[in-house]
Amino acid sequence: MLLIRCPWCGEREETEFRYGGQAHIATPRSDVDDASWARFLFHRDNPAGPFAERWVHIHGCRRWFHIVRDTLTHDITRSYLPSESPEDAG
Amino acid sequence: MADSEGMAVRLQSLPQATQVGFRVTLASQMSAANALGIPALPGVNRFIGAGGLLVLWLGPDEWLLIAPDGMVEWESRLRNAIGADQGAVVDVSANRVGFELSGPAARDVLASCCALDLHPRAFGPGGCGQTLIAKAQVILAQTDLETYRILVRPSFANYVAAWLEDGVAGVQGHAKADL
Amino acid sequence: MHPNEHALHNPEFLWRNPDPKPSYDVVIVGGGLHGLSTAYHLARNHGIKRVAVVERGWLGNGNAVRNTTIIRSNYLRDESAALYEHCLKLWEVWTEELDYEILFSQRGVLTLNHNLHEVREGHRGMYSNQLNGVDSEWLDAQAVKEFCPIVNTSADLRYPVAGGTLQRRGGIARHDAVVFALARAADRLGVDLIQGCEVTGFDIQRGRVTGLVTTKGRIGAGKVGLVGAGRTPLLARMAGIEVPLQSAPLQALVSDIVEPMLPCVVSNALHVYVSQAHKGELVMGAGRDPYTSYAQRGSFHILEDQMAAALQVFPIFGRVHLLRTWAGIVDVTPDASPIVGITPVEELYLNCGWGTGGFKATPGSGWVFAHTIAHGAPHALNAAFSLDRFETGALIDEHGASVAVH
Repeated sequence: MLLIRCPWCGEREETEFRYGGQAHIATPRSDVDDASWARFLFHRDNPAGPFAERWVHIHGCRRWFHIVRDTLTHDITRSYLPSESPEDAG
Repeated sequence: MADSEGMAVRLQSLPQATQVGFRVTLASQMSAANALGIPALPGVNRFIGAGGLLVLWLGPDEWLLIAPDGMVEWESRLRNAIGADQGAVVDVSANRVGFELSGPAARDVLASCCALDLHPRAFGPGGCGQTLIAKAQVILAQTDLETYRILVRPSFANYVAAWLEDGVAGVQGHAKADL
Repeated sequence: MHPNEHALHNPEFLWRNPDPKPSYDVVIVGGGLHGLSTAYHLARNHGIKRVAVVERGWLGNGNAVRNTTIIRSNYLRDESAALYEHCLKLWEVWTEELDYEILFSQRGVLTLNHNLHEVREGHRGMYSNQLNGVDSEWLDAQAVKEFCPIVNTSADLRYPVAGGTLQRRGGIARHDAVVFALARAADRLGVDLIQGCEVTGFDIQRGRVTGLVTTKGRIGAGKVGLVGAGRTPLLARMAGIEVPLQSAPLQALVSDIVEPMLPCVVSNALHVYVSQAHKGELVMGAGRDPYTSYAQRGSFHILEDQMAAALQVFPIFGRVHLLRTWAGIVDVTPDASPIVGITPVEELYLNCGWGTGGFKATPGSGWVFAHTIAHGAPHALNAAFSLDRFETGALIDEHGASVAVH
């Protein structure tokens, strides 16, 4: 059970949230080639280490936000608004 | 409930209420507060009770007004105050039913089925939050030192009541809720 | 006493523990069951003798011994049914072929349906299976009760049992014995099983792999097969290949040892899949955690949900104690089907994405992957399971057959 900090509501148990996969994936133009479209649809970084990912506080304020979580230790080092970049101080 | 006097905790269902959900831009939040007769809309995880109304924070630009049953005019009042292009106001009176859990052991009952930290250092009177009771989504508001209001969608109400009754039984050995 | 009873209890003598030679014809990266099976079939079916398996940990450490040992072939799509049925047919001869008691037991896999939608999906799968020559039959709730008496078929459950599909040829095997059997068989055919040897890079020259950099030095290789399960994305990235996998924890648990009570494997969409091991423990699987992770542990609430569902289906489990829980890292593809085939790098081959249910595929996965490596092109059975299907769109969607039940 992760303890996740919603940037709006504060720390809540993982069961209040749903996972949204990797953050900061830009939607490509619709006229890109098949390889680029496949990358967008199916390929995610899947790193062993820090990972910026999307969560939604589905049973709370229902807002999407981002966290940086280490996939080896499950340590969460950042929780931030979708408008921010993962490098912003916080 | 006659035999509930002096009991450590009491669970009862609340009468039907008018409920109005509203989302509002920063620019119109003061107008909304003025219409509601409160100095400002409540902040994160807080609610305000004034003049028979409850105003609960639900999200960064979202609140819920609870007014006595039948006061449907609050929907248009708020819409007029906020302005057509500065937010959205919806009557959601049928969306949730209410319970009240009160007594010295109320927090213990909630601890049996809700993971929200209700310790006074983290919550307390005036605190509210959207969270889970067992697997059901609820709005939880603490109205005084030993009283909590629980709003739940009608189809989950029996489920939540069963969990709370079970918690009541856990703290006082038997359950007889006034539903 | 089985002739191999002694060996069964003394697995440390079943294979050599060699240091790597300077080069091999084929190096398999990953000493899990699929890697061992690949090496075994390279030697057995294709006569390739200079084969090594490099394993960063030790044999019988990872998902090989973390799975719930369920074997079945009742997948929905034609491509999957053909591949998994090939696997099941190999399981049916493996005890004899490997000359080792792997305790393969065709006790039947019963997949329960709990509502009208599931009943329809169950029938759809059953008809699809029958058309593909995979045995499958429908049991109504009463027949379920007769086949597996401890299932609660009472109508007033939150998720009442509406019936289920049964694959009688499905069952379980003892997974650690399969590790021992395969490792011994591969070793006897000359395969070097190199443990404690982690790959840290690849030698790739003009688009062709020529060797590996490992913690035990450089190893030259004519061909390389990547069979790294959850770690495959990390390995593939070293070779400049992006693989559409998500690595996530999948949990399992065992009870204390109890009297025989469960005559078959039972699974359903509530994330209960359970069998009773030969020794008597109930072996249960849970749902996977939703998030990317390489930590071999999962969340407690997943297990809690699993147990709640198990208690509803099997009230008798209320008296059983949970003895041990663990997690393995599963590599899940977007269409819940594996990737077995060639890659953009010449002579570098990929076998991954078996996700939450790879144990059952051990024999056939190695069989077709060995063929792919030996011939430089896929076998007919794995041709559709290519890496490029995510670009062409020819996905093999098995979410229904592989995510909820294993």
